[in-house]
Amino acid sequence: MTVNTILEVSNLKTWFYTRRGIVKAVNGVDFDLWQGECLCLVGESGCGKSVTALSLLRLFDSPPGKIVSGKVIYDGIDLTSCPVKRIRQVRGKEIAMVFQNAQSALNPVFTIGDQIMEQINAHGHYGRAETRKKALMLLEEMNIPQAENALTMYPHQMSGGMKQRAMIAMSLSCDPAILIADEPTTAVDVTIRAQIMFILQELMSRRNMSIIFITHDLSLVREIGDRAAVIYGGKVVEIAPVDTILTAPAHPYTRGLIACLPDISADLKRLPSIPGNTPNPIDLPQGCTFHPRCKDVMDICRSTEPELVNIAGVHKVACHLYDNAGVDRA
Amino acid sequence: MRSYIIKRLFYSVIIAWGILTITFVLLRVGPTSPVDRYILNIAARGQDVDSVRQAIEARYGLDKPIIEQYLLYMGNLLQGKWGWSFSASQPVMDLIGSHWIYSFQLVLLSSIFAIIVGVGLGMLSAVKQNTKIDYAASIFSFIGISIPGFWLGLMLILVFAVYLGVFRTYYDTNYPIWSLENLRQLILPVLTLGIGSLAGYVRYTRSAMLDNLRKEFVTTARAKGLSERTVIGKHVLRNAVLPLVTIIMFDLGSIVFGGAYLTEIVFGIPGLGQVSFNAIFANDYAVVVAVTLIGTFLVLFINLVTDLIYTYLDPRIRYD
Amino acid sequence: MTELRAEQGGKSRRPFFISHRLVGYYWERLQKNRLSLVGLGFIGFLALTGIFGPFVVQDPQKTDFNIKNLPPLGFSIQESIYDIRTGEITTTIIQSRPEHPLGTDSKGRDMLAMLVSGARISLLVGLLATGIAIFIGAFLGVLSAYLGGWVDNALMRFTDIMMTFPFFLLLVLIVFIFGPSLAIIVLVIGLTGWTGAARLIRSEALSLRTRDFITASKALGASDTRVIFNHLIPNVSSLIIVMASLSIPGVIMAEAALSFIGLGDPMSTSWGTILNTGQHSLDSAWWVAVEPGIMLFLTVLSFNFFGDGLRDAFDPKASV
Repeated sequence: MTVNTILEVSNLKTWFYTRRGIVKAVNGVDFDLWQGECLCLVGESGCGKSVTALSLLRLFDSPPGKIVSGKVIYDGIDLTSCPVKRIRQVRGKEIAMVFQNAQSALNPVFTIGDQIMEQINAHGHYGRAETRKKALMLLEEMNIPQAENALTMYPHQMSGGMKQRAMIAMSLSCDPAILIADEPTTAVDVTIRAQIMFILQELMSRRNMSIIFITHDLSLVREIGDRAAVIYGGKVVEIAPVDTILTAPAHPYTRGLIACLPDISADLKRLPSIPGNTPNPIDLPQGCTFHPRCKDVMDICRSTEPELVNIAGVHKVACHLYDNAGVDRA
Repeated sequence: MRSYIIKRLFYSVIIAWGILTITFVLLRVGPTSPVDRYILNIAARGQDVDSVRQAIEARYGLDKPIIEQYLLYMGNLLQGKWGWSFSASQPVMDLIGSHWIYSFQLVLLSSIFAIIVGVGLGMLSAVKQNTKIDYAASIFSFIGISIPGFWLGLMLILVFAVYLGVFRTYYDTNYPIWSLENLRQLILPVLTLGIGSLAGYVRYTRSAMLDNLRKEFVTTARAKGLSERTVIGKHVLRNAVLPLVTIIMFDLGSIVFGGAYLTEIVFGIPGLGQVSFNAIFANDYAVVVAVTLIGTFLVLFINLVTDLIYTYLDPRIRYD
Repeated sequence: MTELRAEQGGKSRRPFFISHRLVGYYWERLQKNRLSLVGLGFIGFLALTGIFGPFVVQDPQKTDFNIKNLPPLGFSIQESIYDIRTGEITTTIIQSRPEHPLGTDSKGRDMLAMLVSGARISLLVGLLATGIAIFIGAFLGVLSAYLGGWVDNALMRFTDIMMTFPFFLLLVLIVFIFGPSLAIIVLVIGLTGWTGAARLIRSEALSLRTRDFITASKALGASDTRVIFNHLIPNVSSLIIVMASLSIPGVIMAEAALSFIGLGDPMSTSWGTILNTGQHSLDSAWWVAVEPGIMLFLTVLSFNFFGDGLRDAFDPKASV
């Protein structure tokens, strides 16, 4: 199987220098994105997945945030260090992004039509009529009813699902190769969720687009993901095809996550959970970030950070249990 | 939207009524009636007090019951019969007609100055937060809010007119209002009146901009690949402008008119403030009341316009 | 738990609660802001001057034309006298004298004494008038928010009407009608300046009214008065304090402005009165206009610094 890697992230670290200390929100993230796939970035709240997404396009607040090290290679350019003008050509055109809350992500004082047309014109010169036609087609592609009308509506006049779809339509306006979706269904209810997921899957096949799908919900991972990267404490601790993650997770954290999924057929008195708390990005533990909560912790875990190593096929784990690649010590 | 406009207009009428009524009450409740004051002048000239008093009372209906007086008062005001200024020997309306333009010009120029410089500096401050520019602007605005306007005027006169001789110390009315020479001698007054407002605008613009700079739609705008100038100048500004409009209009209404009054006196500009000031010391009631009412109705009008502008600018309110 | 009852407002018999433990906490937070401490320091200095000063300095109203126009220490000024009879111009240099360290005005009154008297008046008027204004504003605001319904409506209409009058114009009108005495001025400023406080406190109280702790206390059977006094008012008390400290500068400026245009109390010397004299002697005695202005500026600046720091100490999110 030949795989076309279109995005490569290596050892990405984004730190925020605040009065209270350095917040190491992203602290060594490695993953690659293949053409036509949906890669899920999975993790709990505060693990750094959103900041990772923002870091790809350098969209975080720049004081106090800073990319301290690492590379994000797209189309031969390193997005972490290229000049701002260059990255603006990538933003919206090659790599687009949709956010969790459409109401706050859209500008409340401009119409949807204006906002979509603005993006179209940011990356090309089209006449007014042509731009409008393109915007209309995008809305229709999203199955937004009465698309003509929708163009003149303001965000607050639309329902939650419509807004989310409008935002997706906007992001597609320049036919990007990669779409980063940051928890696009978290703020909507279940029926809309299904619509959005359906649309995203259609888009992938129709436009041959890759999606980086950020979520904390494992059921969504199963629904849409091809591969998943599990993020903990600002690092990718495991990356593998979704089936593998769900059925044969290697990292103790991933195992804990999967174990936490309540089984409807089982007779549970208490919901299982992982003991301890998520790490504080200002004060990360030494060595492996997961070691204080790991039941398989060893001495080496307390002092040395594990590297992300390949243990089978495309399955990678960052855990000292697998220091001799492929050998499971536990 | 239309029903809102109608409701708002109706409300303005109620407030207008309230204003006139309160003014009437104040006038009647005062220790000396308007007649008494006029009498003082007459007595000083040695005329027969009593007969004059009777004549006035008869003419102005002051001997009638208070309700009738009230209705007469309202009626007169609404018809534009704003009384007679005995100190200027002309109807109050005429007096106002010949002097309002000076006040208008002063307020207009100061406001334009204050808005352009104030909002501009505020935007700059917000975008370059915590840099030297920001701190300098902060200090400047603190000072600007704390300086008494009329004293600033005096100091400017002291420095630029008395010592440096760049400007004259008095206002020459011989120049046509919109001529360059006239505008030149308005530089110091406009600065005086403008700086107080300006300082406030810098602070409020900065905070409005900062509030919006942190909003999510800014990240979205950047993610679309827009230039920073578009992001700030179009997306952020359009949102920051909303509270700013309210603040600027409010400042115009409540503070600028008072400031203009004082500025006119300091610089000798013959606007309505000066007119009122002269009337006070001549005990000329009608003029003082008239100027107060004009100022108040202007504020009422400005408030109405502000409300309508705000409703138009914020689509969340326009389409509800 | 014992609570410190702090009394605020000239005519108030109602206590505003501040728990003594919290005062210490707020004081610590206030100390972090250097500028506000500087402001507080100056206010303290001013208070001492105002209270004890008049006993130490000369009589501010004593005129002595022999020592008129003395410059302050370290300065001297040229005076040219044109003798009509002989047509000669004699120029003399007037030196400062140590017994009048800040100079004298055109009537020979000691500047230092006048400034001290001005300090006393400014603080007096500032505190009293603000007290009245805030008291009325807080009372109406809380009442309006709590009772709701037609009471709220009527009170807010009334507030709207009063707010439409430009503050200074209204002041001038009322002082013109009722006469310029210190008592009237304090009353008038207090009776006209409550509108802003009423609005803000009402909106704060409104947001509190729906909070759970109010519902809980009502569920426990608390009467309306008890809820208002024991729960609502203490929770808006920090807002009241901040508003008070930020209103004082406006009040002081208003009194100064009134005195400046001649509507001040003729019996007392306030900074505005001095400026009124100084206005006409800019070329012969510039210090008469400069000194009181500096005092006004510093006083207002200090209250602004202090009020800002206070607001930050109570709620850092609310800072502009």
